Amino acid sequence: MTSTQSATEGRLAKAGERFDPIALAVITSRVQGIVRRMTNTLFRTARSSVLNTARDFSCCIVTREHEMLACAESLPIHVMSGPDMVAAATARLHPKFRAGDAYLHNSPYHGNSHAGDHCIVVPVVDTEGEHRFTAIVKAHISDIGNSQPTTLWANAKDVYNEGALIFPGVKVQRDYADIPDIVEMCRTRIRVPDIWYGDYLGMIGAARIGERDLLELGAELGWEHLHEYTAAWFDYSEEMMAAAIRRMPAGRVEAHNTHDPVPAKGAEDGVPVAVAVTVDPEAARIEVDLRDNPDCVPCGINLTEATSRTAAMIGVFNSLPSRVPTNAGSFRRLDILLRENCIAGIPRHPVSCSTATTGIADRVANATQRAIADLGEGFGMAETGTLTATVVDLFGHDPRRDGAPFVNMMILGLTGGAGHFRGDGWLVSGEVGDGGLQMRDSTEVLELLYPLVVWADRVTIDTGGPGRRRGAPSCYVEYGPAGTRISGMWSTDGAVNAALGARGAHPGARAVQFLRRRDGSVSPLPGIGEIDLAPGETVIANSAAGAGYGAPWEREVARVAHDVREGLVSPAQAREAYGVVVSDGTLDEEATEKLRQELRRVAPAPPAELDFETGLREIIAQLDGYAGGTGLGGE
Amino acid sequence: MRCAIDTGGTFTDLALEHAGELRIFKRSTTPANPIEGILDVLGRAAAGLGTDRASLLGEITMLIHGTTRATNAVLTGGTAKTALITTLGHRDALLLREGGRLRSFDWSEEYPEPYIPRALTFEARERIDAQGQVLRELDEARLLADLDRLAELEVEAIAVCLLWSIVNPVHEERIGELIAARLPGTPYTLSHALNPTLREYRRTSSAAIDASLKPLMSSYLTNLESALREAGFGGELLLISTSGGLMHAREAAERPITSINSGPAMAPVAGRHFAAAHLDGADAIVADTGGTSYDVSVVRGGRIPMSRETWLGEPLTGHITGFPAIDVKSIGAGGGSIAWIDDGGLLHVGPQSAGADPGPAAYGRGGTRPTTTDACLVLGYLDPDRFLGGEMRLDPERARQAIARDIAEPLALDLEEAAAAIMALATEQMVQAIDEITVDAGIDPRRAVLVGGGGAAGLNSSAIMRRLGCEALVIPEAGAALSAVGALMADLSADFAQACFTSTDVFDAERVDGVIEALRARCRDFAASVGSADDQIELIAEARLLRQVWQIDVPVTVERFGADRGAVDAFVADFRRLHDEIFAVLDEESPVEIVALRARVTCALDGRASGRFAGASAAVANQREAYFSGRGWMTASVRPLRALEPGSALAGPALIESPLSTIVVEPGTVAVWQPESGLVITPAEQSDSDEEERHDVDAVSN
Repeated sequence: MTSTQSATEGRLAKAGERFDPIALAVITSRVQGIVRRMTNTLFRTARSSVLNTARDFSCCIVTREHEMLACAESLPIHVMSGPDMVAAATARLHPKFRAGDAYLHNSPYHGNSHAGDHCIVVPVVDTEGEHRFTAIVKAHISDIGNSQPTTLWANAKDVYNEGALIFPGVKVQRDYADIPDIVEMCRTRIRVPDIWYGDYLGMIGAARIGERDLLELGAELGWEHLHEYTAAWFDYSEEMMAAAIRRMPAGRVEAHNTHDPVPAKGAEDGVPVAVAVTVDPEAARIEVDLRDNPDCVPCGINLTEATSRTAAMIGVFNSLPSRVPTNAGSFRRLDILLRENCIAGIPRHPVSCSTATTGIADRVANATQRAIADLGEGFGMAETGTLTATVVDLFGHDPRRDGAPFVNMMILGLTGGAGHFRGDGWLVSGEVGDGGLQMRDSTEVLELLYPLVVWADRVTIDTGGPGRRRGAPSCYVEYGPAGTRISGMWSTDGAVNAALGARGAHPGARAVQFLRRRDGSVSPLPGIGEIDLAPGETVIANSAAGAGYGAPWEREVARVAHDVREGLVSPAQAREAYGVVVSDGTLDEEATEKLRQELRRVAPAPPAELDFETGLREIIAQLDGYAGGTGLGGE
Repeated sequence: MRCAIDTGGTFTDLALEHAGELRIFKRSTTPANPIEGILDVLGRAAAGLGTDRASLLGEITMLIHGTTRATNAVLTGGTAKTALITTLGHRDALLLREGGRLRSFDWSEEYPEPYIPRALTFEARERIDAQGQVLRELDEARLLADLDRLAELEVEAIAVCLLWSIVNPVHEERIGELIAARLPGTPYTLSHALNPTLREYRRTSSAAIDASLKPLMSSYLTNLESALREAGFGGELLLISTSGGLMHAREAAERPITSINSGPAMAPVAGRHFAAAHLDGADAIVADTGGTSYDVSVVRGGRIPMSRETWLGEPLTGHITGFPAIDVKSIGAGGGSIAWIDDGGLLHVGPQSAGADPGPAAYGRGGTRPTTTDACLVLGYLDPDRFLGGEMRLDPERARQAIARDIAEPLALDLEEAAAAIMALATEQMVQAIDEITVDAGIDPRRAVLVGGGGAAGLNSSAIMRRLGCEALVIPEAGAALSAVGALMADLSADFAQACFTSTDVFDAERVDGVIEALRARCRDFAASVGSADDQIELIAEARLLRQVWQIDVPVTVERFGADRGAVDAFVADFRRLHDEIFAVLDEESPVEIVALRARVTCALDGRASGRFAGASAAVANQREAYFSGRGWMTASVRPLRALEPGSALAGPALIESPLSTIVVEPGTVAVWQPESGLVITPAEQSDSDEEERHDVDAVSN
């Protein structure tokens, strides 16, 4: 953009007249710094690898009016909407916050994302007893006392069958000390209570760091000045959002996709998801209508209100032509239409929302951004791969620690970013809801903490959806127990329905998973699975890949040649999908040009499914006699 | 005589003490062959001292060298063609990394390429588990076939990183033997030997970066040493390490990754020295302001904290060195940082920089965008005729135009207010960088001394001090060449580490004491090699709570643990107190695991330089109008640094000039020249400052 344009819009914003623009930038930087310190605290102190390595948690600050103010590098699906409702629900139950209070919240019916995310809510109360802000830490807990050792359970019939302790904002600390009966309740229901308590201490520490820093900030700047700041920051963010929307084409677009089948009434054949997006640049507003979706189903895939709203928001923010701060101010320009008792809406107790941060939420966000891609070149995004069996809840006993129990969600795989108008899919993006911010487990940390062997953790050739911008490839993960038995549970979406391409691009590879037995035989496993693994057995999981954006034959030849050289694309796929001829490692420019002319003339429709079997089979064969089998104890 | 030479991106600095006076010489760096620049600056120094280069080199007993050669090679892709050998199934450690990124919804950046391409990555069929047990024997036939393939590909260096080599290195060692036999002369790095740290990405990245630097750095250091010897040098050549210690040049050639950031690492060492007189138990924040970057490090309780989180490039998407390093946080803010306004009317400063070319608008070399240097000129802080000692004339009109057009008009601010806003925001970003590193290290800036180094440090360091509420700001006279002077003046130190796993519930005192003794022996050997008579050894345990995976540094205060359980209990209590201070997490139940021990030996040498420059300047005192936010235009005293009387106070507003920099003494602060440290600026006493204010008003109305 030219400086003239920038200057004009700067005048429109009139930031200088409303609030000192320097102070605006300065305070924003300090508030985001507080959130980063909260994040660092939990990351460094947690005991479960899901938190201390994969960083499946988020920290944020909401205002006294329960509006999202700052969430720094938090996972979008955790925070865009949710902490606001969590804070409000807690305040309704506890009308008078006191300094030293902390509350535990995980209720899907009171604003939380899903029961598997525990929130620690700490009201920031000044020396006069006034509630000023709320610091919230939301973490994916390894176990929440469900009837089964999993926190993402698509087969849960309802909240009773799911079985978690539900906390709608329960006071867990008073005067900066634990309330012992609540902590004891958790310890008697949650598996491996010592690990839970260690993670809980880290969450409390993170929230207290946020509280301490906010109290200092308020004392230094004055609370009224800070409240004026929040108003100005929201106005600024709204103006940034409006400016972005004004650059988008007007129109109403719809997109559909399908969640994989779940063995529950109404979901046996898959669940269709429909999204209608209306972009109104004149009014500088975007509406996302999710009301035309099925009623809630008797299994764990229903969304919560928080994740329904957030999923739509993620799709929109992924599609904006410029970067906009994510807070209650920019959200004012969005209208998310939901209805009660809808699978992508507002659930009614006691439906289960166990997988509400994944599954349908990914489908809604993906459909939203793909719909916006239909508005024109340079907007929107293809679909990101969905959560698969490379992310699995593991439970068992560790023979190296005198048989001590362990429970943890392993986060490997996690590749599958969608192609977008600017570039290829971000490799390490496991779901559209993580915004590419999710971290992943380390093989060595996993094997240190749990009796596991991760035999492979690597990307798979020919899986990224071909397009002008390629989807990120699948990740091949193979793991098994070491000297013990372990049970694993996963809820895959994407084993049947792949991520769909945008603007003529191909889909990404769908997810597949297998069991490799001790004798080396390999057989398929279901997308939603429970398994009891004996020593020497392994699970093979190949994650769902991202889809492409734009016609693959428009991809720069040099990029295709690079992908071939690096083993991400085979010469066969280069030729068939991209029209690029590479033989014996050398690019044949003449044949390429000829083939591409033909492709441009015919413009073939994208295939319904991507062919990636050959490459996958090669990896499975390469690890035959190496992964699993003998020598692992227990024989 | 000791001599320090720091080769930076722009200048090669030399510092030495001659006849009781500190002397600094600067020549341009010659990037194609930095040895030329080094010989050149030695020649310049010899001329300055009225002697010839050979005689000067003959007098030098110890030459301490800092260089950005390794860093630049990595950042500009000038490293060797390097292959990677990993465990089967894990070829993508460098591609997948640890995940994460800094910004959501920012799809303008491309996913980073791995440090070593997949095409040059080979998998060894072998597997060792977390306990060091061999699950799968190494398939040597397959490996030899891969090595033959590497020869065909004309690979110049090889990195080897296998899972759990830190617990059992047998396969990495065997691969090393096979490489030496099959590809003799090809340098290689074994990850366990280089950096025995948990987490495969970090260790692989360490090994990859190290191997890729080996051909370049070993020939550079060999050539440097022989060029110096030929020119008459007969002393010891030491290299500044990434951890702020020193190592012999041959060690650096064997582990070239340890010379990354070799320059900035000396800044806190220098800062600690200059702030020593003012520390009195307080912590120090050392900030080095360059043209494009602002590097912050800290000294905590007299120690310099280390970090494993050193990234070349941005965190998470750059390349991690995975190596213990002085905790230096760099942000894109400096004299050349560009000020701009976004769509929503919000002011930003940096991270883009106008660099040295075209440079700030005021340079008149084609740069049109306003920078912090332009802002300082508009505010009257810089004298357009005396910039860099008069070597370059600045054009105030160009600075004014750039700020008026890009900042003042869009924000509807006065020119001066716009310039002040740019400085305020740059100051705030620097404060944020300091905040992050101090909070991570558990330092309260309000009880710390700020040390300002670098040519542009003087411009807003007193504002940063006030904003942080620091006790004092120290700007050493030698601050413009902080690293070289620091290397010359600081105590010599070296660091040694050894993995040592135990837990306080089943404490293996014998083993820990054995490691402590081994580390002490290595420290004493180093002290002897540099001829130190008096050395001090500090011990640190890297420790964590059971089932945590990140450690904090806990000082070990006992000589040995022995059979006394009380010493272990005291260590646990120290750990819990530190853990609570840093994280607000107090766990009274969990045992504490020790993962590794580190030792640092510090050698106080005789005849250390005094740090005082040659005689006082005769330049006369002057005054100039300068603008301060919230105060308006004020008359500031202008004094040459050399003309200041030791111990006498000068109240702000004042501008103190030296050939290499200008120091702004803000209203409400007082500067005192203390020869041992430098210019020491403190907040004025409350009553004095009120007085000052009235005086200021008078000055303006006059």
